[in-house]
Amino acid sequence: MLFELNDEQRAFQKRVREIYEREVSPLVEEYERKEAFPVQLFPILGAEHLLCLRCPKKYGGPGLDKVSECITVEELNRICVGIGASVMVQGGLATDPILHFGSEELKQNYLSPAVRGEKIGAFALTEPDAGSDASGIRTTAVREGEGFRINGSKTFITNGTICDFATVASYTDPTKRGTGINLFIVERDDPGFSVTKKLKKLGNHSSDTAELAFEDCYVPKERMLGDRIGGGLGQLEETLKSGRITYGARSTGVGQAAFEATLSFVKGNRRHGQALGKSQAIRFILAEMAMMLETTRYMTYRGAWLFDQGLASMKDASIVKLFCSESVQAIVQKAMAIQKSAGLMTDNPVQRFLRDGRLSKIPEGTSEIQHLVIASFLGL
Amino acid sequence: MDFELSSEQKDVQRAATEFARGEFDPDLVLELDESGTFPDSLWRKAAQLGFIGIHYPEAFGGQGLGLFENLLVIEAFCRADSGVGSALSTVDLGSEILLKFGSLEQKERFLTPLTKGEARLGVAFAESEDGRDLTVLSAMAEKRTDEYSLRGKKRFVLNAPLANAFLTLCQEPKEGWITLIVERQRDGIEIHPIEKMGLRMIPFGDLFFKEACVPLSSRVGEEGQGLAHVNHHHHVMALRSAAQSLGTAQGAFDRAMQHAKQREQFGRKLSQFQVIRHKLADMAVRIEGARWLTYKSAIEFDRGRMHPGSLLMAQLEAGRRLIGVVDEALQIFGGYGYTAEQAIEHYFRDAWAIGVDLGTEEEQKDAIAEILLGPDTTRK
Repeated sequence: MLFELNDEQRAFQKRVREIYEREVSPLVEEYERKEAFPVQLFPILGAEHLLCLRCPKKYGGPGLDKVSECITVEELNRICVGIGASVMVQGGLATDPILHFGSEELKQNYLSPAVRGEKIGAFALTEPDAGSDASGIRTTAVREGEGFRINGSKTFITNGTICDFATVASYTDPTKRGTGINLFIVERDDPGFSVTKKLKKLGNHSSDTAELAFEDCYVPKERMLGDRIGGGLGQLEETLKSGRITYGARSTGVGQAAFEATLSFVKGNRRHGQALGKSQAIRFILAEMAMMLETTRYMTYRGAWLFDQGLASMKDASIVKLFCSESVQAIVQKAMAIQKSAGLMTDNPVQRFLRDGRLSKIPEGTSEIQHLVIASFLGL
Repeated sequence: MDFELSSEQKDVQRAATEFARGEFDPDLVLELDESGTFPDSLWRKAAQLGFIGIHYPEAFGGQGLGLFENLLVIEAFCRADSGVGSALSTVDLGSEILLKFGSLEQKERFLTPLTKGEARLGVAFAESEDGRDLTVLSAMAEKRTDEYSLRGKKRFVLNAPLANAFLTLCQEPKEGWITLIVERQRDGIEIHPIEKMGLRMIPFGDLFFKEACVPLSSRVGEEGQGLAHVNHHHHVMALRSAAQSLGTAQGAFDRAMQHAKQREQFGRKLSQFQVIRHKLADMAVRIEGARWLTYKSAIEFDRGRMHPGSLLMAQLEAGRRLIGVVDEALQIFGGYGYTAEQAIEHYFRDAWAIGVDLGTEEEQKDAIAEILLGPDTTRK
């Protein structure tokens, strides 16, 4: 057993940190305020091979492994969780199903441009009445001539207003709950597709989240992923598994940022005449934060390593997501509590870490759903 | 032992609840929060109906009720909306100092307009980055023949840009620590507003005094009494903030209950899932415990048997329960809770602003432990 990044991975980590600090850090405050994603980043990160990390070289990707991907996710989320959300969707939910199930033509038309940052992808599964219960979606794709006509509405869609294409889940056979679902690529300019609302959120302000509507939106049959009707949500199995491990890296990144900010605050401040770092209670809190951060990080990379070995089950992935997204709450909450009023100020990033970190218990399976998944593996 | 509110107290509670339900329009609330606007018209209406300063003597525009009745109003207002409720609950910060230590003339001049919705009051004590550390006091007053001249800086003053006057803690070479009532329109006062994450309807800022002159009649109470004023303020605020916490927690709970009863996933209401039922049960227990600790302490206060340990326990318990309850409420809302279209989103931000404003858990425990154990003599 070896629990350390190797030299090559460390060099990679150092390189991506430098790139993010150079290209992303200067944009954070401005785009957090604007509540918009800095779209100019896509071609820049594409040129640095930092979009779609696991995409094979054949389609223009760097063809790296999950561990490498988690390194980039941790480093990017350490700087900004919102920007990290858009980049994560680009390399995960929006394109991963194309890689696994898309035809060669779809890969050339959508995956490769996404890898280069020329096209922005979104993933549309969640609906107003179907969140945790993904099989409860009502969007339908009805066969018509040489294609399908899609009707329905989607919500909480990352990259919704800026996407060039969206990977959309809809029922091709509504009588088969869960299995009668297929994924389609819908282009931004397809008639009948519209962005109905940009959503304001507690955090992740620099990512773009929207409600989408599909009204008699026609897509040619070639834009269906997979070649059989009723591919089902099972097609998302690998993508969701990977995404849950990614959430571990997201939590580690923002946890690291909150920990660093707290450590430097504690070292630089006195309270009631005493250096804060001399307070036994504060030392205990920092010790606990350090412990949570380390375990969060190891859980993440263990999950990523299992995934790379082809050993990760959905249970493993859910354990990573649940543990890491819950642990990071303790870290960001303590970071906020220690700074008190100073932490509340909009120009103090600690309040952003709290708002951003809070998200992780919700998407891609809430903490409650992760419990259900883990329990389902226990032979109960 | 009697755990019933008197009929008069029930009337106060009912009137405040009905007013808040009727007037705190949900759309208006979201707009005020987003734009960071003080709820001016609601404040005036609340004052006209006698809700502001309900606990002041009738001679100064109040209704001669106890602090407990004031807490019932705060709780009802924050339950209806954390932002508006908190804004209306903090328009008279420092009034408790005038009530206990002020001259008849000061009470008439400064308290009566508060009850009419014609003026707001603030306190300016802390100077450090850390909003509560009073070990450093550099604001200096110099007594001249007919005035005090004041210079120095105060940090994180609630209502800074709006309050008509500030009770300002400063040091006078001969008189020691004193509190001066400094009206905002005096020359030599600069206000630097600060944007913050939560309680955005309550303006916030730093105050700079540059040779600001106030008449000798501005001093509250006696020479050297400044620290006693601050302590009294903190005692009363412990209870008032506990009531804010309670109301906010209850409001979050109400909303989570309503959502759980309406929202269906997997063909069932959320309220039919055991885990969600237990979450709600747990939240109810937390709120109930904090409520009775707060009420007990407030009743002691009104009976003239104020017990600092009990006040601090109420504040600590209500504050930490608030954070837990609001966080769980947001989780029950899932993705919806994370969007700013649901009130729970600003309840989350407001809860943190209420919670951190009055000191960290460590400081509160230090204070409680000191009451239990005596001073920590090893601490420098």
